Amino acid sequence: MPAHPNHRADRTEGTGAANTPSARSIYVARSLPAAIDALDEYGSAGAPFAGGTWIMRSPIRHEPHQPHYVAIGKIPELTAIRIDAGIVEVGAAVTHAALASALADLPEFNVLAIAAGRSANPAIRAMATIGGNLSTSGFAAADCVPALLCLEAEVEISSRGDQARIGLERFLQIRPTLEPGRLLTRVILPRRVRNTAHARLPLRKAGDYPAAIVSLAVSLDAAARVQAARIAVGSVEPVARRWQRLEAALVGRPLDPAQAAEVAIGLADEFTGRDSVELPAWYRVSVLPSLVRRAAVAALDT
Amino acid sequence: MVVNLTVNGDRRSSAADPITPLVDILREEFHLTGAKPVCREGFCGACMVLVDGAPTLSCLMPAALAEDCEIRTVEGLAVGGTLTPIQAALEDCDAVQCGMCFPGMVVTLTHLLTVEPGATRDDIRAALTGNICRCTGYERIVEAALLAVAVK
Amino acid sequence: MSEVFTATDFRRRDARDKLRGRTRYTIDRYLPGMLHAAVLRASVPSGRIIRLDVSRAARMPGVRAVVTAADAPGKIGIGIADHPLFARDLIRYDGEPLAAIAADTLVEANAALTAIDVEIEPLPAVLTMAEALAPTAPLVHPDWREHEILLAGEAREGNVAWEATVVRGDVDSAFARSDAVIVDSTFRVGRQNHVAFEARAVVASYEDGRFHIETSTQAPWTVRNATARLLGVPASQVRVTVPPVGGGFGLKFDIAIEPFAALLARASGRPVRLVNSREEEMLTCLFRENAEIRIRSAVTQEGEIVGREAVVLMDCGAYGGEQVFLTTMTAHTLGGNYRLGSVRLVSRAIYTNTAPNGAFRCCNGVYNTFALERHTDEIAAKIGMDPLLFRRRNVLGNGDLGATGQVFEGDVLGPMLDRMDTMREAAAKPPARTDGRLYGRATTVGTWFVFVGPSAATVNMNADGTATLVTSGVEIGSGSMMQALPQIVSATLGIAPGDVVVRAADTDAAGYDVGVGGGRTTVSLGAASLAAAQEVRKKLLNFASETIEASPDDLVMRNGRIEIAGAPGSGRSITEVATLAQAQIGPVSGTGAFTGSGVPAMPGCVAGHFIDAIDIPVFAVHDCEVAVDPETGHVEVLSYKVVQDVGRALNPRAVRNQIQGGVAQGLGYALHEEVTIGTNGRVCQNSFETYRVPLALDVVPVETSLYEGAPSVGPFGTKGAGEVPILNVGATVACAVANATGKRVQELPLTPPRVLELLLDLKSDLSFPHIAEAWAENLVRPHNTTG
Repeated sequence: MPAHPNHRADRTEGTGAANTPSARSIYVARSLPAAIDALDEYGSAGAPFAGGTWIMRSPIRHEPHQPHYVAIGKIPELTAIRIDAGIVEVGAAVTHAALASALADLPEFNVLAIAAGRSANPAIRAMATIGGNLSTSGFAAADCVPALLCLEAEVEISSRGDQARIGLERFLQIRPTLEPGRLLTRVILPRRVRNTAHARLPLRKAGDYPAAIVSLAVSLDAAARVQAARIAVGSVEPVARRWQRLEAALVGRPLDPAQAAEVAIGLADEFTGRDSVELPAWYRVSVLPSLVRRAAVAALDT
Repeated sequence: MVVNLTVNGDRRSSAADPITPLVDILREEFHLTGAKPVCREGFCGACMVLVDGAPTLSCLMPAALAEDCEIRTVEGLAVGGTLTPIQAALEDCDAVQCGMCFPGMVVTLTHLLTVEPGATRDDIRAALTGNICRCTGYERIVEAALLAVAVK
Repeated sequence: MSEVFTATDFRRRDARDKLRGRTRYTIDRYLPGMLHAAVLRASVPSGRIIRLDVSRAARMPGVRAVVTAADAPGKIGIGIADHPLFARDLIRYDGEPLAAIAADTLVEANAALTAIDVEIEPLPAVLTMAEALAPTAPLVHPDWREHEILLAGEAREGNVAWEATVVRGDVDSAFARSDAVIVDSTFRVGRQNHVAFEARAVVASYEDGRFHIETSTQAPWTVRNATARLLGVPASQVRVTVPPVGGGFGLKFDIAIEPFAALLARASGRPVRLVNSREEEMLTCLFRENAEIRIRSAVTQEGEIVGREAVVLMDCGAYGGEQVFLTTMTAHTLGGNYRLGSVRLVSRAIYTNTAPNGAFRCCNGVYNTFALERHTDEIAAKIGMDPLLFRRRNVLGNGDLGATGQVFEGDVLGPMLDRMDTMREAAAKPPARTDGRLYGRATTVGTWFVFVGPSAATVNMNADGTATLVTSGVEIGSGSMMQALPQIVSATLGIAPGDVVVRAADTDAAGYDVGVGGGRTTVSLGAASLAAAQEVRKKLLNFASETIEASPDDLVMRNGRIEIAGAPGSGRSITEVATLAQAQIGPVSGTGAFTGSGVPAMPGCVAGHFIDAIDIPVFAVHDCEVAVDPETGHVEVLSYKVVQDVGRALNPRAVRNQIQGGVAQGLGYALHEEVTIGTNGRVCQNSFETYRVPLALDVVPVETSLYEGAPSVGPFGTKGAGEVPILNVGATVACAVANATGKRVQELPLTPPRVLELLLDLKSDLSFPHIAEAWAENLVRPHNTTG
């Protein structure tokens, strides 16, 4: 059999890399049309570069870099957050830190403020963007994905001469096959009176990717019964998704954390945990009921 | 492509491949070896520098995005040989061991003390989530940060 | 002429530059004209090299030199020389070096690696000790009989690289006693990565027919001698110097990548830099070894341990390395702490087709203490005795025999347990616990030792009243070279510790030293430095006695003066005396040397051991409280207390910092840090994302009490303090978790899934079919108790 290259052969790290000429480029776009044009021209040889916290770690995953990147972090409209009476719009290049701080006083977005404000570590949160978090198919433990799923988020996809808005669930389906030249530009969130919470379980106190995430948003009626519920589960399977059977089971009665967890025990077998170096698959599923309970407790607290 | 940037007040330029991490340019072109490339994935914080005032993982920042930025490395913090308050506190508390994590620790804590001058023990520990120390068990570092808060 | 030593919180000289990013570690050294090297590593755990052709790689852009097995004829090892620099015919682990290249840039060196034409025929691999010990297992070293033996009296065979045994007393009779109950326990631990922040790094050059190796090591003389042996050159042709080291923890107690750079420097005529990538560090770590332990004891209802037997399997990986030596340690770690009526232990280093393991802070002691203390709790439970009371009755005291028959001096562990009681009672009572978590606490004891051994030192008295200390000691971060050693010299010469300059290690400048590790720096290098300083003092006092007109015996050196005892301000300043002496009798210097005396074992008691007994035992008592989340298996450490036998604390503040750091590293071992090996034979955790060390939020402040006054031959009564703090952390956390959950804790680390498995009863008891039921059947060669 042929020998493989060594553990580092396909890496460009450290000494010497700085002086090597190459055809690679990063185009720092200053406007959205310029970014879209550049992505369109590069086609499959190009990719957007937002916070870079995933792309810059390609060497560790033994993945080659794209020949061309289009940096979108300096485009004013993509780094803006607009909070209206009816909706919140978040530019794709808004960082986790900026998002958490903008949402701090909006209790109905507690789930997203926690997702953005507790993920990874402080310096990563200051770089990593919401658009990057949603667009990275290979990152199963993204905190913002389940949080946005339970907030009924829509995303805006822009390409040369076209702009479309689709639901986040749909976007997650088409994400792996999104054509070159298409860029997630905005996240749009409806505003509603509701209680939300984000229960994440890292393996240490903080600083690592969560083993499992339960994001929850419920609307309660005057009698404190659940009128509508959206619950999303992240990090357990390769792609975050809603837990619709559990949502349905909660509607029509008061939100009781212990009871919600009890129901979750019966429904958890619909998840097939992903096996990974850091955790066995069964563990991710087995902690779900407890995360449901914690999310319910936190939601009632907001 | 040439990237122009300001490092510790000096105008510099680099012709590096645009995706080269900033940490490699600082170390290999500008001989500023304070920032340490330890994990190269944003978990250890040893390569932390201030970019336009914000603590930034220089292993995750490509050269191209440093264009026109104001960069301050650990070497540029103590002006005229006087230690900054956090450096002085870390020295006073005998916090340093092997020292490899301290450039990043100093940068992170310098920023924390600026934005949260009344930081508590828990604030400090949370702020250090992305700064790993393998020698000290953190306690002396937290102690020193609290001392610097008190002295201010 | 006795020295007056005052403990002091003397600050370290290197802190200021480290805080300003000015310190140049090995990874920060860039020489003019320097080349960059990279190593081609195998990507199968076991295979035969059919073809290795570097000719195309040698013609690649920027390439200046290529070296292969043909350039390194020698083999190294401890006890047995089994380890070549490059795989020759056989590949024995994934990651084993095949060739090395130096080029103008690292990118070019890496590109050239991919142009090396290699053909490898995969062979069956043994990845676990169970597989390695199976009757028909493929041999990792089919040629094991041909390895050169470096220490006589070895017992080994096939995949058993080395075996060490202890037999004292009649264990069979003890186990047959009708008044004794038998307690049988099994334990398993994984590997631990040191995660030294500075990767292993070297800059080598070849000048005037000699190699100069600048490297990040704890053991410059080991690098010198092992490089020479691998390259087949006289050791005197290798000079090793050591810049500040960015973390060691035992990882750098062995040779690493230095010979590659040395060979490439000689071949190219240029300085060569080689630095491991973090992934290489993670995959070829020289980990703390994984181990499997079976321990059985015969104990009376009154709590007397009448017999104990154990089998310890230590995975050495593809080459024997440090584990061969560490088989000796089981006698003092698993066989430590307690009085034993009779004992037999076998400790076996097992070859597997995995990356070689190495030394790590309290090597062997950490997991054997875990096993011993959990076993002790299981004994106490079985006979219905309070576990603390059981320990108090059985800990070694003055005149008691250790496992190998050595006689222990002084009551140390008993009073240390008393002191822990006092600390525990003084602690604030915890608030009401209503959060549904399970709470537990445990107190454990541990025995470690100071790894004494040869050290040399020279002290030069300078005419300006300062002194220069020249040794082969290395500052790895612990502060011994920056604090303890200058303090020892300054106390002897009556000058300020800041006036003692400590020279960085250089094998051309200072005599032999075993290395910085094993808790030996302050003791061995300290004793040599003390002797050297005493010689300087003697010469200075003799010289001064003429000008001061007093007998040397009446003179003292203190506060920068040589003065008549009892008459402060008399005499002359040391600077004046040193200046005069330099002019009249020549510069004053002194040399010192030290090595351990070697405490004997009971005759016939041990076989295959590298040392018989321990010169300086060190004891530790730890206590911790934990809370366990029954839903997720998360363990939170609520409080941690340490009583540590330090002999004498020269710099109490620095010692406490070592304890805090060592406990944190132990918490990682106990709770977070996991290494697994995939079916492809490769370590799965290749980065900081998957290998989780404790962060600031995971660690608690350690409450520390330094126990002084236990006997020690160390200078001023010191013992090593930096090694020991990690010793019983795994043990204490494991016992506390067992107490909190009521479950049988048999494995470390206690990661959330492992604890949840325990809580949910998803796991059956550990069993080791590859450990024979009858103790003697685990031996390659019967232990001959008659010697």
